[in-house]
Amino acid sequence: MIKLLHVEDDADIREIAKMSLELSGDFVVEQCDCGEQALEKTLDYIPDVFLLDMMMPGMTGRQTLEKLRENPNFANVPAIFMTARAQPNELEELRGIGATEVISKPFDPMSLADQIKAAIA
Amino acid sequence: MSWNEKKSRIATGFVAGSALAGGWYTSSAALLSGGAAQTVPIVGAIALAGLVPLIAMNFRSTPARSTIDDSLKQQLSVLKKHTMVNVVDIDNRLVEVNDLLLEATGYTRDELIGQPVKMLYASDNHITTAEIRDFLRQGKGWQGQTTLRHRDGSSCVTQTTVTPLRDADGNWIGSISARTDITATTKLIARRDTAMTLHELRDDIWIVSEQDLELRYMNLAAKARFGWAKRPDDGLTVRDMSRDNGCEDVLEACLRIVDTGETFTTFSAQIGSKKFDGSIKWLNKGTADGRLLIMLHDITERLEQDQLQADFISMVSHELRSPLTSIKGSMGLLLSKAAGELPPKAEGLLEIAHRNADRLVLIINDILDIEKISSGRLDFEMETADLSELIAESLRANAMAHQRFGLQIKCRGVDTSTFIETDANRIIQVLTNLMSNAAKFSKPGGVVEISVTKNEEVVSVSVRDEGMGIATEDQHKIFQRFADMANSDRASKGGTGLGLSICKAIVEGLGGTINFVSDEGRGTTFTFTLPVKTRHSEPDKDFERLENVG
Repeated sequence: MIKLLHVEDDADIREIAKMSLELSGDFVVEQCDCGEQALEKTLDYIPDVFLLDMMMPGMTGRQTLEKLRENPNFANVPAIFMTARAQPNELEELRGIGATEVISKPFDPMSLADQIKAAIA
Repeated sequence: MSWNEKKSRIATGFVAGSALAGGWYTSSAALLSGGAAQTVPIVGAIALAGLVPLIAMNFRSTPARSTIDDSLKQQLSVLKKHTMVNVVDIDNRLVEVNDLLLEATGYTRDELIGQPVKMLYASDNHITTAEIRDFLRQGKGWQGQTTLRHRDGSSCVTQTTVTPLRDADGNWIGSISARTDITATTKLIARRDTAMTLHELRDDIWIVSEQDLELRYMNLAAKARFGWAKRPDDGLTVRDMSRDNGCEDVLEACLRIVDTGETFTTFSAQIGSKKFDGSIKWLNKGTADGRLLIMLHDITERLEQDQLQADFISMVSHELRSPLTSIKGSMGLLLSKAAGELPPKAEGLLEIAHRNADRLVLIINDILDIEKISSGRLDFEMETADLSELIAESLRANAMAHQRFGLQIKCRGVDTSTFIETDANRIIQVLTNLMSNAAKFSKPGGVVEISVTKNEEVVSVSVRDEGMGIATEDQHKIFQRFADMANSDRASKGGTGLGLSICKAIVEGLGGTINFVSDEGRGTTFTFTLPVKTRHSEPDKDFERLENVG
């Protein structure tokens, strides 16, 4: 089972993502609604992959990842961004800041698990 | 001719000469400036007032030079030095020309006398002799510029005054023209106007020497930028300004153009908090008077506006997509039976909702693209890409639709790699759109053919379908936004009405063309071309015209 930490401020999207990932049977999903909560959560939780929303009030997904990366435990944990902003041309830039994969919103709930597994394989 | 007749002719002549002189003075004073404005009109006016009676006396009569008094002789002498004069008869044929006119045209007196006056004129005269005659026929004089043609083909611009001549009985018998060469003045005025324009231009203009980059000129906008009311001190160089005024980028660009030896370059610059598009033109390169003309266009405000707009678009995009993520995600989960089996009717309705949510996502993407196109911010990320691979990827993206409609896909010219310099993602977008249209408008089981042809400079890609075709009356608006608005099939086919206008903007933005041929009832072929290599923009032609300034 893959331990995934999902950071997303929109409660509806959190619920859909959790349901679609758990439906695949391959993921155990923990969720936080902001970057600050994610930093606290990771004090005693080490996931196999981060799934981060880009635009959140307070710390953005990018800032959250930068903070997480300061912890040696998370230096090599794959990070996948989810964004409602990105156009195809902007995805490369996000990969450039340490994203393993960038998934555009709206995402397809039936292929989300496969997309993440492919990215971290 | 009796003395009374002579007196009458002289009197008529003086009237004409004075009129001519008055007109000359007014027009030449208006035209000229500076010292010339004070001397040329007066001299010309005196000359005209004196000359006309003389000519009138001599006109079609025995010379009466013995009766000319000393004063008139002196005036004639002045006139001869300053003004070209000719007299024509009622048929517009030359009957008298002075030496200055012969000099200006290169002909002898014998060659001109008896010839039509238009022989003197260059072909680019904006006024014709017929038009001047219309004035004369009404008893009016004419003033304006005429261009004389030298027999060697060169020309000179003259300020001309033409006055009708009448005999003692008041009959119109011809005209007299006085002309002053204003070629040099015209050029000076043109240069002065250009210099004035530069001076008052909103862009910053600097002119510096190529040797030591010493500042020779700055226009008002450039001086104001540094808070200088007047010309900066002698000896100030771009190096000084780089050190003291934050003009490092300008110095770097100057050094670069001098180093590379190019005659034109563009650069980006920041001075303080302001950002500029800059360009440098090397004037009089390779001479002792070599100078660099530097033009700086302030783009700070435009960049700020662009940023505000980009932020707004980004925000709208986010705000619309977030709820759509939940809507589409929920419906997707329901359809995948994540919440258990659904009654068949509920599933059918949910599919409709899901399909339309998909359509909304496409519309949002298209609107964002259209907005970028409208604001000129459709940026391209150029790279070398294999067109055959881009076509393969687009076919994969359309595989579901092709399968759904049972279409046969044929490809020609894609077996080998075709490398082009382009924006791969945008080309996939164009291909996907054309393939999707071909699928949507094909009959079930129809053929969609994708073919690539190429030569050294251009590749051409065609997407052909065997569908319903486009009605002749609709063909002219096919690349307009919402062109298929009236098409009731649009909603059922899932189009946004924006795709083809976006395709056109993308293809043209990448230096290509897009078009189609359609046979109603038999199918449509869309073809777009792309350059194999990106063309680099050429230097601004407007800059060429500034070459002589400074």
